[in-house]
Amino acid sequence: MAAVVSITGLTKSFGHSMALDGLDLEVSEGEVHGFLGPNGAGKSTTLRILLGLLRADAGTVRVLDGDPWRDVVTLHRRIVYVPGDVSLWPGLSGGEAIDLLGRLRGGLDERRRAELLDTFELDPTVRGHAYSKGNRQKVAIVAALSSNAELLILDEPTSGLDPLMEATFRQEIRREKAQGRSVLLSSHILAEVESLADRISIIRRGKVVESGSLEQMRTHARTNVAATLSDGATRLSATPQLTAVPGVEGLRIDGSRVQFNVDAGGLAAAMNVLTGLGVSALTVTPPSLEDLFLRHYGERAGQGLPQ
Amino acid sequence: MTGRHAAVRPAGTQPAGRPLTGIALTGTPLTGTLALLRHALRLDRWKLLPWLLVIGIFPTVSYSVYGSLFSSPLEAKALQLSLGTNPAFSLLFGPATDLGTAAGFTAWRVQMFGMFFAALMAVFTVTRHTRAAEESGRAELLDSGVVGRHARLASAVVLAWLASAAVTVLVGLALMMAGSEPAPAFALGSAFGGMGLAFAGVAAVTAQLGSTGRTANTLAATVLGVSYLLRGLGDTLDDSEWLLWTNPMGWAEKILPASENDFRPLLLLLAASLALALLAAWLESRRDFGMGLIAPRGGPARGRLGTWGLTARLNRGAFLTWAVVFVALGSVYGLVATTMSGIFSDNPFVKQMITFRLATEEQLLFAFVEVLLLVLAFIGGVFGIQVVLRFHTEEDEGRAEWMLSAPLSRLSYVVPTVVLAAVGPAVGMAAGSAALATSARLAGSELDTAKVVFQGLAEVPSLWLAAAVALFLVGLAPRARAGAWLVLVYWLLLTMFGPVLKAPEWLLGTSPFHVVPNVMESSPDWLPVAWTLLLAVGLLLAGLAGYRRRDLLSR
Ligand SMILES: Nc1ncnc2c1ncn2[C@@H]1O[C@H](COP(=O)(O)OP(=O)(O)O)[C@@H](O)[C@H]1O
Ligand SMILES: [Mg+2]
Repeated sequence: MAAVVSITGLTKSFGHSMALDGLDLEVSEGEVHGFLGPNGAGKSTTLRILLGLLRADAGTVRVLDGDPWRDVVTLHRRIVYVPGDVSLWPGLSGGEAIDLLGRLRGGLDERRRAELLDTFELDPTVRGHAYSKGNRQKVAIVAALSSNAELLILDEPTSGLDPLMEATFRQEIRREKAQGRSVLLSSHILAEVESLADRISIIRRGKVVESGSLEQMRTHARTNVAATLSDGATRLSATPQLTAVPGVEGLRIDGSRVQFNVDAGGLAAAMNVLTGLGVSALTVTPPSLEDLFLRHYGERAGQGLPQ
Repeated sequence: MTGRHAAVRPAGTQPAGRPLTGIALTGTPLTGTLALLRHALRLDRWKLLPWLLVIGIFPTVSYSVYGSLFSSPLEAKALQLSLGTNPAFSLLFGPATDLGTAAGFTAWRVQMFGMFFAALMAVFTVTRHTRAAEESGRAELLDSGVVGRHARLASAVVLAWLASAAVTVLVGLALMMAGSEPAPAFALGSAFGGMGLAFAGVAAVTAQLGSTGRTANTLAATVLGVSYLLRGLGDTLDDSEWLLWTNPMGWAEKILPASENDFRPLLLLLAASLALALLAAWLESRRDFGMGLIAPRGGPARGRLGTWGLTARLNRGAFLTWAVVFVALGSVYGLVATTMSGIFSDNPFVKQMITFRLATEEQLLFAFVEVLLLVLAFIGGVFGIQVVLRFHTEEDEGRAEWMLSAPLSRLSYVVPTVVLAAVGPAVGMAAGSAALATSARLAGSELDTAKVVFQGLAEVPSLWLAAAVALFLVGLAPRARAGAWLVLVYWLLLTMFGPVLKAPEWLLGTSPFHVVPNVMESSPDWLPVAWTLLLAVGLLLAGLAGYRRRDLLSR
């Protein structure tokens, strides 16, 4: 499949702070690509570079076979964008804002516009300063989805939507995908990415640390193992034996309960150790996206996901 | 009583948010004022400081240079005679009552500026913590602590009062340190602080009327502008002293620092402030949170705006406001210019000049008109800079990012702004000078309309330079864009006061407004104006190149 976005070795710094530090990212045609990372990881910066709003310091960036900095006008005919923090003109109604963006794009799909206003329950006659954050976001979503772009670049589009509208949003994105459009969706909401994305890239401190389909990631990633040892006495030997197995991490022993995670290579050896020690109960869980995510943000695991 | 804005919200219904500490659950409409005030003070420390410094330092500088200005008391007296009888100066700066002392000279020189700045400081402070805070949602977060119905308003007004008091004390102390007597020093400080008090009240009311911070500020600034005009007319027109009693600026002027040091008008200003604050509280209880009494209308469901339409729309309010200001000021100035002819015959210096053929009466009249046109020109400069900075606000508030994600080059995005910043001030200047000449002629003056308009248009390249400076900064150093205001203020002070302060010619020449020739001269020197134009074009091109090349700022 052809790549609609292809980035290698992208760096970008603001003054002394390095926002992107050798980032690689590839989005294939027709896929929904989840771009996952907590606040400040560099998602928005990456998307802004893809839109030619910021200039890359180094690295190669190609979008729809063009250079996003040089070919702004031609590329933007084929791309739409929903900014992370939508700000509307205080004196313009939502409808006027949608039509302004539509007009800049040379027109929009009238039927789709009406339909989207309806599904998102958005009143287009309200003035910009009177919309809530969620409604401002809806204005940008309606403006984006009522165009006929090939690539949708969405920066945390649902961060202000209520759960019901979030579901509507997911449904609409699936429709876009069914039309053959490609979507790059940045988010820090795992459930959203998990339910929509064909492939996922996890970004951390300006670098993509893991990329692939959820299935691929799971096979590459670590399996959680929880076991109850049958004999308390063997506990003492459990620690050294399990630590000796290559690939075992996060070992916690609490009474007779043993917990750890292990990569695919060490799984068999770890099982052997457990069997040797004697187990009375065993749960083996394939990694969830949350586990994948937390592994990369290990130091914050105790706090869960940063919101 | 509306649910969202109950005097005391039951604890169980508090929306999520960080409640302010130290607020008791039982309370009056003012519960929480102190906590909000402390919070506002913390937020505003750095915002208020520049205002206080500018208002505080300016009089001191003027006071300190007084000694070096005049070689003899006689010279000062002479200046007073010529300035005191010149209605153009009374109109702009108030009457020169006592130029024989450093304090009197300072009072005349800085009074209007200080009163204007103090009033604006108070207006912006009150709006920022009331209307603008509600608009941005900041207020909602804070009010989710238990806060009385009027606490936010009260804290904002008290903060502005404190800032006004600080102005009074600062001006008084600084002038005393420069050697002034306490009475004139604090009288001048009180004129400033009194304006701050009064306009804190005005802004408290306008914050209830408008539904956006911008509307609230515009309404309050309009009151200030009208006060300035009424006061100016009261100072200049015959038999119209009563006009001074119709507005806060007239009252503040009635303190007459240095000559009378009459503090009673300060009580009037304070009373007005209190009354307006009470009115504002009454209005506040009749409106919903986030809403103004001037209800925001809904908008159309469809729009037909493009980049040009958007630029026109965004600047429509400013354009209309400035158009009214240009025409109103022009007309008033025209009236004043007319009354000057009679005054000329009473002024010994003017008589002398005419006798020695240094000037004809028309030339002298025109010289005063030139000063008036200069004021219009500065307003044009403000307008041009405002248009350019309005463009930058779009970037600052994140809308430029959205616009530029459409198939729109940076250049096509900025061009409408460039055109408006060039055309707008020029149209204003033409309208203002035409209004001036017309009203002068209607009142029976000899002024040649074409020449007045021509003189007005001769100022336009300077306005373009002001706008070009702003664009240059927006393109190449957006974080320093406010520097455009500094440049304009520098030009204003230099051109208005440089000659009086005997600044050297090379220094005066750094202001494009100073080098504009008098079109009445037999062979006006247009070369400096050509340089102004060239510089403006150069800065414009550099700014555009910078804007195309740089990163878009993000929030
Ligand atoms: N215009 C800017 N100036 C300075 N620093 C910035 C700017 N934009 C982003 N950053 C910094 O770059 C890093 C990445 O930010 P961003 O791309 O917005 O992250 P995300 O979208 O993942 O939350 C952050 O540390 C942020 O503070
Ligand atoms: Mg972001």
